[in-house]
Amino acid sequence: MENVLSILFCLSLFYVIVTSRVKAYVTVLQIQGVLLSVLLIIQVIHNFSVYGIILPITLLLVKVILIPRYINKVISELEIKRRIEPTIQQMILLPIVIVTMITIFIVSSILSKNTAMDVIPFASGFSSIVVGIYIIMFRKKLIVHVCGFLILENGIFLFGTAVASELPMLIELGVLLDVFVVVFLMGITLNRISSTFKGFEVSHLGRLKD
Amino acid sequence: MSILIDLCNNLLVASFVIQLLAIIFVFNKNNRTAMYSANIVLLVGLTLGLASTLSSALFSSAEISTESIFLGYIRLDALSLYFLFIVQLVAIPTTIYNFSYLQHYVEKKRPIKSFVVFYIILIISTQLIVITNHAIFFLVSWEVMSLSSYLGMILEREKEEVQRGSFYYFAASHVLIFILYIMFFFLHNQTGSWLFSDYHLSFSTGIVVPTIFILSIIGFGIKAGFMPFHFWLPQAHPVAPTVLSAFLSGVLIKMGIYGILRTFLFIKPVPEWCGWLVLIISIISAILGVWYALAQHDIKRLLAYHSVENIGIIGIGIGIGFIGSANNLPAIQVLGFGGALLHTLNHAIFKSLLFIGSGVVYQNLGTRNIELMGGLVHRAKYIALLFLIGSVAISGIPPFNGFISEFIIYMGFFNTADELKNYYPILMLLFAVGLAFVGGLAVACFTKVNSIMFLGSERKEVKHFKTSIYDNISLGILAALCVVIGFYPQPFVGVVNKVISSSFILGNSSSALIDIDWLYFTIIFTSIAFGIFILALIKIRIEKKYGRRTSDAWGCGYNNLNPRMQYTASSFADELNTIPQSVLVYHKKFEVSETAFPLPSKFESHSKDFVDSNIAMPLFNWLKSMVAKLKYLQQTDIRYYIAFILIIISIYSLIAFLWV
Repeated sequence: MENVLSILFCLSLFYVIVTSRVKAYVTVLQIQGVLLSVLLIIQVIHNFSVYGIILPITLLLVKVILIPRYINKVISELEIKRRIEPTIQQMILLPIVIVTMITIFIVSSILSKNTAMDVIPFASGFSSIVVGIYIIMFRKKLIVHVCGFLILENGIFLFGTAVASELPMLIELGVLLDVFVVVFLMGITLNRISSTFKGFEVSHLGRLKD
Repeated sequence: MSILIDLCNNLLVASFVIQLLAIIFVFNKNNRTAMYSANIVLLVGLTLGLASTLSSALFSSAEISTESIFLGYIRLDALSLYFLFIVQLVAIPTTIYNFSYLQHYVEKKRPIKSFVVFYIILIISTQLIVITNHAIFFLVSWEVMSLSSYLGMILEREKEEVQRGSFYYFAASHVLIFILYIMFFFLHNQTGSWLFSDYHLSFSTGIVVPTIFILSIIGFGIKAGFMPFHFWLPQAHPVAPTVLSAFLSGVLIKMGIYGILRTFLFIKPVPEWCGWLVLIISIISAILGVWYALAQHDIKRLLAYHSVENIGIIGIGIGIGFIGSANNLPAIQVLGFGGALLHTLNHAIFKSLLFIGSGVVYQNLGTRNIELMGGLVHRAKYIALLFLIGSVAISGIPPFNGFISEFIIYMGFFNTADELKNYYPILMLLFAVGLAFVGGLAVACFTKVNSIMFLGSERKEVKHFKTSIYDNISLGILAALCVVIGFYPQPFVGVVNKVISSSFILGNSSSALIDIDWLYFTIIFTSIAFGIFILALIKIRIEKKYGRRTSDAWGCGYNNLNPRMQYTASSFADELNTIPQSVLVYHKKFEVSETAFPLPSKFESHSKDFVDSNIAMPLFNWLKSMVAKLKYLQQTDIRYYIAFILIIISIYSLIAFLWV
């Protein structure tokens, strides 16, 4: 079941690579949040504990409801245009991502011979981290960078569940709080930037160089 | 529980706590109150610390414990206690001088609170360095010490020379700490421990231990200021606030000596080439250091070069000790290390004395240029006398303390020549001649300083020369120490001997050091002093009877001299400076008009540091130009940085993958 969810997670990554609409990113974030929550809930069902249920619920709340809503609010308030404005075409990025993912999956399967870990969640998490970095690298809009960062963070989450079967819950909750604060701050920053610069592209920030 | 008992019983801990508490007092709104209260509390803490050090086993007849306390972080062995004693002993007079020095800044309404905080942190971290037993703790304290002294150094940060000079220090400290990191990682790698007490390596095992030795000589040598690595010292010391340059020159550079000795304890016994290496570096430092000093006009820079010289003398002692260690001859070790350790104490005392003295003059005249001073003996008799004591002591003239330690080092030379026949006598003779030459140049240099600064008539008009009671107290304490160690060296030599017999040589110790009849020195010096006293009385009697004839200084029989006609410092040193002109980078510039009606003539002379101008600066400029080529990596766009991160991660992952 975990493997199925991880594969679905990977598919959502492919979608995020090929799409060219900002709103689609938010949808993908929501889907990934749901997937991660389900993954955690399955683990809780195996050995039930009251504390174990807190993390998936918080995850659901933060990643599926709060953050996407906030991003949507920022998008509509600042009237950000729908196009993501890539620096390279989606159809060029897609093969790159495919090659990366294949490499990661092969490497993980080789690594799994020496260390005990679930190959598919591990590889999916790792791919998600790399894809998050790709998105930040090859997209111009700042709001898309935020989404890329969140995808990267989701990857780390999945990665964590794959390597250690359960991270201490407090740490996970702390990470969630961090992510929320970061997104919040980025929203505020974007608001500020919009009053100073016309667009929302990082290339404008080059003017801040000393 | 036992830790708690230790904590309660240990006066030392109390002293550290009180010193730390001093920081709280800085946060008083009133600058003046803050400065006074913080310094008083610091002084109380230091006095308590000194009392605890003096009551420790080193200064009594008890055995020195080698156990570490506080989970192994701290160990008060003999070497640590000795250097702790030096730090506290010198920190007390400098802190007293702080009152009068910072008073000037308070009057000018300049911010001094940060300086006081950094000064307190500096003193505490310096004490921690010498008592720690843990490598990481040592490195952290070392870094805190370097940074706090740098931050204190930029008290007058708006001046360009201060920025420049303190940056030298900052850069040197940075290079140094990297070398120390590598050295301690090697040590950890070899022993698998971070505790100093676990470091016992023997030199015969491969290339690693020699590497550790070389790294320690370079790393700690930068701090101590041995010759090729000294170039930061004459840049940083003049620009530091006087309090700090006194502490810096008196104590901080001794941390380098402490480090070298500590490393020696890890890897002893060392082979003989180590001794020769240290000896040669040291003799070069000593000779060139004092020669450079002779060419300086800036009093503080001159004193900084004298630090290089004295570190050289200490290094000579260490080198002899190393040779003794290589040949397993306790007598040579005792004399070599004994001379080095005692000179460390002595130099700490008289160098801070001289720096504080020069600071008092600087505060009143507003210049550090010797050529603009003169006749100050009429303004401040007491300061002049104390400065003279310091000068005599640093030149190694009896009856003051510098002589005692240099005497031990000479004894070390002769003992080495005596015990290791063969070709040693010739070499030792050469080194002894070198050291004597250094002493001669030092006498020349301080004759210059004293006569130009204090004698003659005033070159620059001094409106009012104000010395506070604190100047006199701090200088008085230091001068008294110079006199006491000079006249009655026996207890100090005993302490040094105990340090060596309990730390350096275990088991078969030699009594070569205490066998010298130190009481003769006391008798001879006292009788000389008594003789001088009698002569002075006779002189006063004669003057009373026949009157006293006065004339202008260096008047040579002419009348109506003006101050500019006096003998100057550069002409005094000119003959000596012209000999090694290329090494000293000594430039002279004449502008003499030979027309019928002479126009004003000019003469300039200045000396650059050879290492600084011909080696260090070209090297760093080259590095700078190399690094500038990497500038294109600095893009404005965050996406490039993310890409760099990805590339680096991929490379790391690849390496890790191939490793597995």
